Amino acid sequence: MSEELVSKKELLELTGISYGQLYRWKRKDLIPEEWFVRKSTFTGQETFFPKEKILERIEKIQTMKENLSLDELAVMFSPNVADLNLSKEELLKRNIVSEQVLRIYLENENEPTYFDFSRILEVFVLDKLLQSGEINMDEGKMLLEVLKDHRGTIKQKKGDLLITRKLGVSSCLLLLNTEEFYFENGTKVVAQVSLMNCTEEMKAKLL
Amino acid sequence: MDKKGDLIINGSGSSNGGTFSNVTINGKGTINNDIQCAEFDCNGSGTILGKVTAGYAKINGGVKITGDLEGKKVEVNGTAKVEHNVSVDRLKVDGKATIGGKVKAEEIRIKGRLTVEEDCEAEFFKADSQFKIGGLLNAEHIDIKLFGECRAKEIGGETISIKNKDALFGLFKSFFPTQLETEFIEGNHIEIENTKAKVIRGNHCIIGPNCEIGLVEYTDQISIDKSANVMESKKV
Repeated sequence: MSEELVSKKELLELTGISYGQLYRWKRKDLIPEEWFVRKSTFTGQETFFPKEKILERIEKIQTMKENLSLDELAVMFSPNVADLNLSKEELLKRNIVSEQVLRIYLENENEPTYFDFSRILEVFVLDKLLQSGEINMDEGKMLLEVLKDHRGTIKQKKGDLLITRKLGVSSCLLLLNTEEFYFENGTKVVAQVSLMNCTEEMKAKLL
Repeated sequence: MDKKGDLIINGSGSSNGGTFSNVTINGKGTINNDIQCAEFDCNGSGTILGKVTAGYAKINGGVKITGDLEGKKVEVNGTAKVEHNVSVDRLKVDGKATIGGKVKAEEIRIKGRLTVEEDCEAEFFKADSQFKIGGLLNAEHIDIKLFGECRAKEIGGETISIKNKDALFGLFKSFFPTQLETEFIEGNHIEIENTKAKVIRGNHCIIGPNCEIGLVEYTDQISIDKSANVMESKKV
């Protein structure tokens, strides 16, 4: 861990927030527990924070608290996205998915009234890969099927999504907690996405 | 919604837990698994080997919970021992509560004795008695009237007030030294008495009588009582 740390006192000076605010945000889980790093100094144990992360987070909180309550913010920042629920207008507004891709997604979906976490992730991954041109429409549909079938298992785990082609035939794989994988010669990995990273990217857009 | 049954133990009995409407233990009861209920009432001695989720929990006898305690309103009039975390809206302790993990609540009021091994978080924390907190005491408003020996590793919040409790007509003074011992106090508005702390940091600090402070760092204002012992104070 070679991250640059900042002491609590310096942080308050840098950001201009008060102790009361900092503690309030901690209580509301806006600042994760792991960021409170304890270190010994001559005055006893002091609390330090990873500088880059905490500054970014505080800036976000400060700009967003105008529009959102602290509890709403807490939902945003919490790793637990179970109670996330958005309408399709919100998805478009927040730029998570483009309109065309959303239309494709909805064609294959029966009850498209709301989007919970799994669905947002699905449509986000689809959008990402289609937009980048790495996969074609059929592969996109295949991908959606895989994601949908394994909705339950994806949530907690570190998953990777893989699209391969061989002799013009494509297939889609979902790897959970895999370290390495190999194919026979002639198989081409067209696209590989880490669902973890996607979740993070997606959350960043939600914020 | 389907109606759930009640679990009532009068005398001595045991149950395997489950979901109930009311759970009442009047004698000695052991519940061998998690329970969920709207109301939990224990008047005798109860042991729950698991987690308790209750809308309203009232503990008049002695209760031991080996898992977490979750609920809306929890009142402890007897003794309660929770080995893991407590997360409730309102916690009121008139008896004695020992918590092995963290406490998270909207409102905590203590008149008896509270021991928390880890952090204690609330919007409002009011204590008229003794407590011991192994981690950080973090609340928007902290209002402490000292009676006996209090201890917290760190204290942080918006307004922090630590006062000596008035002895009843000057007759019934506590036999123990009434003092709060802590390493750090950090807040916007700090007003303390009878406190021993290594470092105090705040915007507005009022250091009252019988304090023993290593270092005070303040931004706006400070006032130090004559009988307080402050090694160093500086404006930052």
